[in-house]
Amino acid sequence: MIAAIAEEATQSLILEAKDVHKWYPNGFHALRGANLQVQRGEVVVIMGPSGSGKSTFIRTFNALEDYQKGTIQFDGLPLGNDLRHIEAIRREVGMVYQQFNLFPHLTVLQNLTLAPVLVRGRSRVQAQQRALELLARVGIAEQAGKFPGQLSGGQQQRVAIARSLCMDPRLMLFDEPTSALDPEMVREVLDVMQGLAADGMTMVVVTHEVRFARQVADRVVLMADGEVVEIAPPETFFTNPSHERTRRFLDQIL
Amino acid sequence: MGNSLTGDLPPGFLQRSKDWLRRELFASRVDGLLSLVLIGLILAALFGLLRWALLQANWAVIQLNSTLLCIGRYPIEHQWRLWLLTFLLAATAGASWGLLRSCRRADRPGLLWPRNDRIAAAVLLAVCLITPPALGLSLAVAGRWLAIAGLLLAMRWLLGRLGRRLGADAIKWFALVWPVTYLLGMVLIGGGFGLTPVASAEWGGLMLTLLQASFAILLCFPLGVMLALGRRSNYPLLRWGSVIYIEFIRGAPLITLLFLGQNILGFLLPGGLAPERVWRAAWVLTIFAAAYLAEAVRSGLAAIPNGQMEAARSLGLSTAQGLQHVVLPQALRVALPVMVGQFISLLQDTTLLSLIGLMELLGTARTVMANPDFLGHYGEVYLTLALLFWCCCAALGLGSRALERRLDPHHLPNL
Repeated sequence: MIAAIAEEATQSLILEAKDVHKWYPNGFHALRGANLQVQRGEVVVIMGPSGSGKSTFIRTFNALEDYQKGTIQFDGLPLGNDLRHIEAIRREVGMVYQQFNLFPHLTVLQNLTLAPVLVRGRSRVQAQQRALELLARVGIAEQAGKFPGQLSGGQQQRVAIARSLCMDPRLMLFDEPTSALDPEMVREVLDVMQGLAADGMTMVVVTHEVRFARQVADRVVLMADGEVVEIAPPETFFTNPSHERTRRFLDQIL
Repeated sequence: MGNSLTGDLPPGFLQRSKDWLRRELFASRVDGLLSLVLIGLILAALFGLLRWALLQANWAVIQLNSTLLCIGRYPIEHQWRLWLLTFLLAATAGASWGLLRSCRRADRPGLLWPRNDRIAAAVLLAVCLITPPALGLSLAVAGRWLAIAGLLLAMRWLLGRLGRRLGADAIKWFALVWPVTYLLGMVLIGGGFGLTPVASAEWGGLMLTLLQASFAILLCFPLGVMLALGRRSNYPLLRWGSVIYIEFIRGAPLITLLFLGQNILGFLLPGGLAPERVWRAAWVLTIFAAAYLAEAVRSGLAAIPNGQMEAARSLGLSTAQGLQHVVLPQALRVALPVMVGQFISLLQDTTLLSLIGLMELLGTARTVMANPDFLGHYGEVYLTLALLFWCCCAALGLGSRALERRLDPHHLPNL
């Protein structure tokens, strides 16, 4: 019985990072044995002071950063130096950046169809159909013909989310998706993310948005000095954290 | 109408120009004095030039040698091939022009090309009407030039009409006509495929200049892009190789490389494989220009944030796909003005080929000036050369600016 439950748990495990260490070329020890397990359909929010390695950690999940020690597995596939594994995993993992990183020389629609056509081998018409559906879902279908530079920050970030969704990812990574936005645009982006979570998307989100973490996260993670200090459901995390480091962090942001 | 002139409209044109003059040229006593002196100098220089050009200069040296300056000593019985090539180029250019001005942008409302190109058409027609009589060309030759201009404008009109129905994809495919035309042109000039070969030693004049420049421009572009990418590569051998190549070539004067190429390519390659002198020079020009182009492209690549490649990679694109579809289109747009600057100086650098004995425009001009019949008429010849080069460079510059405007997606954010 217990074995069966354990097996089910490993089956629904989508991402597992074990004892991940990273040194930057200048010798800085950015990750010091960070651990994280993400279940299918789960929303994990990573918080922590700046410089704690949150972004570096999340960027190792799709090999934008390499690591020197430890293991990361995505859906049973080891993420090491094997380029084939890296590319296979990147196809399945979407990423949304603080700076949007939309392609400024392409229209919104072209931004969304580029990867599905090139990587998934879909036809242009098919890709455009799917792109328009997703643009409607993030609420900006009417902007399909515009260039990113003609949109507001909030709209650009929603395009970036739709662009990742076009690849039908199994896991979405968000690296401070609202930190570069004007305050009045934060809500529209968080609403889209909340909708995604409600539809069952597996998400790992680095953010400072406490309200989002409280309402949407299944578990909240505190990182400090390159380590995962605390993992807890949001109500425990924000009201009754077990670590002194978490309490100090919460005192500073709440 | 009369009322509104005195009412809410700004003051009349005359008043405005007076204001402008006062503001810009005569704002203070020093400004006014400076303006008067400079205007006087400019007028004096202009007057002197006009008096020389109209009264003292003997333009017969240009009239009698116009063919020589254009094509050098190309055999007269094969000249029809060059005429055919010119007609072909005119048709291709006209068709491209027509397509570009007709097609709507695929991505947003608006046309691919500025529509106010009527001035360009008028200038072209005027040049074709004025130049032949000024050069004293025979009626048959003048007629041919008129026919060429007519063909160009007719193709522009025809494809302008057709293009509206063909759509944007037509342009993409039509671009392939240019390399075909280029290869066809090489065959027409050099012979082969049933045509009598004309040795490259017999090519000359403006034709050879344009041939050298276009060959070097076309080939140095891919080579330069590869060197720029190599210089930024993570693979050390590629990076060092590119750095050594670029720094060595940029550290040596072109004339040295040209002499080196003439002497060394013969030793390096086994007998018979060494290209003829004209081609040796063309390759040296290409190799030289590629090093400078690589630096221009590198500056463009440096302007593109890392996030662009990261976004492409995290979407599953390979590095090559990311470069091709995301990074290079943006980087080349940034580098375009500098690259065209390199192309323009490359065109002018072809004059150095006269020093290694090639009969390009300057080389041909020097044989003309060495002819006892035309001794002392240097001014006329050099002024003509300067005008010819200026026309070519101005065309490159205008084309690049139009391309820049067209490639600008409103404005590029996040850069």
